[in-house]
Amino acid sequence: MILYPAIDIRDGRAVRLLQGDYDRETAFDADPLDAARRWVEQGARALHVVDLDGARAGAPVNIEHLARICEAVAVPVQAGGGLRQSEDVAAVLAAGASRAVVGTAALSDPALVESLAAENPDRIVVSADAREGKIAVEGWERATTLSSAELIADLAGRGVASFVYTPVEVDGTLEGPGLDGLRAAAEAAREGGAELIYSGGIGTLEHLGELASAGLPALSGVIVGRALYEGVFTVGEGQAALGAG
Amino acid sequence: MTRIAILDYGIGNLRSVEKALERVGAEAVITGEHEAARVADGLILPGVGAFAKAMERVAELELDRLIGERVEAGVPVLGICLGYQLLFDSSTELGGAAGLGLIAGEVSGLDAPGLKVPHIGWEPVEWARDSELIDGIADRTPFYFVHSLTPRPLDEADALGYALHGERFACAIARPPIYGVQFHPEKSSGAGLALLANFAGICAQVPV
Repeated sequence: MILYPAIDIRDGRAVRLLQGDYDRETAFDADPLDAARRWVEQGARALHVVDLDGARAGAPVNIEHLARICEAVAVPVQAGGGLRQSEDVAAVLAAGASRAVVGTAALSDPALVESLAAENPDRIVVSADAREGKIAVEGWERATTLSSAELIADLAGRGVASFVYTPVEVDGTLEGPGLDGLRAAAEAAREGGAELIYSGGIGTLEHLGELASAGLPALSGVIVGRALYEGVFTVGEGQAALGAG
Repeated sequence: MTRIAILDYGIGNLRSVEKALERVGAEAVITGEHEAARVADGLILPGVGAFAKAMERVAELELDRLIGERVEAGVPVLGICLGYQLLFDSSTELGGAAGLGLIAGEVSGLDAPGLKVPHIGWEPVEWARDSELIDGIADRTPFYFVHSLTPRPLDEADALGYALHGERFACAIARPPIYGVQFHPEKSSGAGLALLANFAGICAQVPV
């Protein structure tokens, strides 16, 4: 399993939000590139970059920061936030991202996601963010009636090979992963032949150990944010807790 | 300072290769110009995308001639990803196309039934032997791969490393001054930078 340090960009800085709430932000790095460099120096094998301004605006805002990060670090970078049309995905990939993470678009226009996946084989990741088990969209500010597992099953059938699953309630809390919803999401991914990356609530190395031993074959990675920024553990320690793979 | 020319034939984002070379203390020049490439201590042939299209662009810019001439002069060349594949005789991709023919063998699709292709991700690399290119890099160190095809060197002595994805495939070759890697050293963290640093070291030894 791969540990993906999260770099969420807002107003040009690296920040963390609590439970996806834009009013409860902690700023950590004045320049997100500093965060990127630090995580790679600590042994990161990949980075997960989110354009928070873009997620809210519905179109990428911080592409230049993304490009600076992709150029400067010697690991693959997956990036999302506000990618709702083909041109946005193309811009993120052109900026050097290895994969584009699509959120809201996946729900409102599954056919678009299907064509994106066909145009960019294995370079489209769909973010299945859930609030109380239901998909949340538009910078997590709106909930829907679709479950994460349903969304994953549908889109895996449309050729999407990777998903990120985030239970919004636990995000930024450091209180541990939301395992119940994760099991359903991971099972849907496995049945669809896709991989699943978990995100949200990781606060200790034990939390990573729980995920590593959860027996979920589709689970291929874990995104960690606040715990790294607060120095609870290093990327290297976290990666070791997830196992060598 | 060791100067390395990253051959630009209009395909792919070359900035991450350039940055990685700068990180290991080499001077990197992105160029498609023969004159600029000719004064470099080493060449990198990068690339992503389709084999035939890439060879078409390489031929248009007469980079095939340039690479052949520099190899003849003993200047080290490193092919990365598609650039690695281009070093070989030919590819079966999309009806087939001829390559640079610097290394004997054919490029064809990964035989990975039940596994995902393109193969994307980190894979441990098993070294077949020693080479200056991999000095100080432990056996089974993971590198980052993105590819659907793989070269099949005719002469097993050319193979430097193997990785596993459905089949065991030659993911690195060394026949000095020609080197090639299927993985992306510029995206493979510390181990990738170490490999690029080793390549820069090899380039520094050759008087231009």
